[in-house]
Amino acid sequence: MSSPFSSRMPRIAEATVERARLRVVPRRTTRPPRLPFVTLVSLLLVIGVVGLLLFNTSMQQSSFTATALEQEASLLDAEEQSLQMDLDMLRDPQKVAAAAQELGMVPAGSPAFIRLEDGKVLGNPAVAGPDQTMRISPLPTTRPRRLSPDPVILRLPDARRAAR
Amino acid sequence: MRSRSRPNSLRGTSLVRLRVALVLIAMVVSVFGARLFQLQGVDARAYAAKAEAAGVVTLTLPATRGAITDRTGTPLAESVDGLMIVADPTKTREDASAIAKLLAARLEVDYFEVLERLRKRHTQFQYVARRVPSTKARAVVEAIDTSGYKGIDVRRDPVRDYPAKDVAANILGFMGEEGQAMDGFELLFDDILAGRDGTATYEQGGGNRIPLGDNSVVSPESGDDLRLTIDRDVQWYTQRVLRQAVQASRGESGAAVVMDTHTGELLALADHPTFDANNPVSSPKEDLGARSLFDVYEPGSVEKVLTASSLIDAGLVTPGTRISIPNQLRRQDRVINDYWEHSRLRLTLTGVIAKSSNIGTVLAADEFTPRGLHRYLSSFGLGQPTRIGFAGEAPGLLPPWEIWQQINQDTIAFGQGVSVTAVQMAAAINAIANRGVYVAPSLVKGSATTADGDTVGSDVATTRRVLSRRAARQTTRMMEAVTDLEEGTAPAAAIEGYRVAGKTGTAQRVGADGMGYDGTFTVSFAGFAPADDPRFLVYVVVHDPRNGGGGGTVGGPAFHKIMTYLLRKYAVPPTGANAPDDPLEW
Repeated sequence: MSSPFSSRMPRIAEATVERARLRVVPRRTTRPPRLPFVTLVSLLLVIGVVGLLLFNTSMQQSSFTATALEQEASLLDAEEQSLQMDLDMLRDPQKVAAAAQELGMVPAGSPAFIRLEDGKVLGNPAVAGPDQTMRISPLPTTRPRRLSPDPVILRLPDARRAAR
Repeated sequence: MRSRSRPNSLRGTSLVRLRVALVLIAMVVSVFGARLFQLQGVDARAYAAKAEAAGVVTLTLPATRGAITDRTGTPLAESVDGLMIVADPTKTREDASAIAKLLAARLEVDYFEVLERLRKRHTQFQYVARRVPSTKARAVVEAIDTSGYKGIDVRRDPVRDYPAKDVAANILGFMGEEGQAMDGFELLFDDILAGRDGTATYEQGGGNRIPLGDNSVVSPESGDDLRLTIDRDVQWYTQRVLRQAVQASRGESGAAVVMDTHTGELLALADHPTFDANNPVSSPKEDLGARSLFDVYEPGSVEKVLTASSLIDAGLVTPGTRISIPNQLRRQDRVINDYWEHSRLRLTLTGVIAKSSNIGTVLAADEFTPRGLHRYLSSFGLGQPTRIGFAGEAPGLLPPWEIWQQINQDTIAFGQGVSVTAVQMAAAINAIANRGVYVAPSLVKGSATTADGDTVGSDVATTRRVLSRRAARQTTRMMEAVTDLEEGTAPAAAIEGYRVAGKTGTAQRVGADGMGYDGTFTVSFAGFAPADDPRFLVYVVVHDPRNGGGGGTVGGPAFHKIMTYLLRKYAVPPTGANAPDDPLEW
């Protein structure tokens, strides 16, 4: 009962058949080495985490820088505005006129014009004199009457009559 | 039997365990589900709001208010970022004197006042200083912080700065404490100037934005600038000259208008008394507006040139028309006098204008029907607002001709019984200077739309012909006799080397109760130069001078100063022609 074919097969074929007969072979367990894979995965993980961390940190860092720069910009902006304000204050015509008067200047007298077509002098030039000075500051405010009231005179009863 | 039943019972218990676990898990999961539904479905909004409150910051990005500039672009009003310094007295009470000392040394605040505020009880909020330029404010707060004191902080507080203080303040108006427009052009053109505030929303942690967090910005839209026709230097000079004129004559108030003859642009519009726009609260309330646009008065003799030019234009008289003038004139139940005593005079119309004779003007105006005079005067713009852009501008008063009696026409002919604003009168006289064409006055360069929806400005200024060129020229010649050194009523208005045309006015004033004249006067002078090629018109009015001065002695010198300055500043050469010498008498 060794083979169902034995009766009909020649001897040589029998041997071949014997050899070719299928049988269960043990599974080949050639495991790939674990270490490289684990290393790779953990490396990826570490790179990912560290990268994310670095990215986050750099974002945070640039956010700090942005805030600082924004603050600086608004500070400079404010500084520019106050300087502009100072400049406008210095350009106040009242201030300029007061400074000019301090230097002894007066408004100009009447000027003369030379007409270039025929060289004719138009207008009568006049020298500006001290009489052309104008008052540019307001009059000093007058002291209200109620701050300097009339003296109140109290008539005391006569000393002798009081003694009586 | 025992050996067979054992696996069965084992299988039974594991099945029971499995089912029990399943039920337990299902219960737990359904609890989770219910909670999830509650969080996401029911309370979602409340939690989102809570999260927002914890980390999300919403800031208002304030729009920058547009500047108001003069015709050259020099700012008359501008906005500056400012801060207010506030204190929490619960924290500052301990160190109040030291903090107050620091603040008083660096800011313009009173030590004792600040001290009191820093010690105030039952409050956590006190103003220390308002509208401080931000660099200054930050420096102070930093100094306080480094000294180790607590409870002082800053908040945004926009500063509206008027660098030239009272210059053009009557036109500009002012801003309130909270940065809202209160009066004048600030209020009228608020829509243009204000701009639109923006917002910034972001998540914040430790004072810094969280990157990748929610973040949205609506940028603010800055307000537009508004350019006026005013020249700041001319405005300043005019205000100072006007102040001197009013104070020297001990007048109550005054106004001065400087107008570009051809364009109708106002180079200056001065009122006295006026106020400092940086500090409006220190001035009386009645000084805060533009009297030259809101207060009406009777113009008096200046109006005579309107009557005379209308008569000439209608072809009823000429400058040489001979008029015989009695010493007084009876009309209805009234007697019309001249301001000086005279016997019968024989004056030409030029003489009537030069000497400012009421009787002569009335006699000349007899040529007119009420309707005819009314038509001319309203064509000159009397009785209607100039539509210069100010809301509530006074229209003045020109009674309808249907109700005129003889005496009305007589007094209106020389400027009584009709009332005007200073700007209205200046624009009317300017029609003569501008060769008979009336130009509506403007204060806004270009054009702008007011809060009422009116478009105003020099670009949309209307013009209309009132007089023929010839009538305007003849009237101008008559007005030149007014500044004649020997014969005229206003020799002080004459300018060396130039031909100057003008007219004085001295009018009775209606009392404050509106019931008749109160015995005080309004004196004025209107003039333009060069008379043969006018460039500028200047009109000066002083109400209630108490030194007995008239239009020639009060208004004349002020006119002279302002006009001389204008001609020099804008380099207007004299034309070189000689002034006419038309006969005044016959």
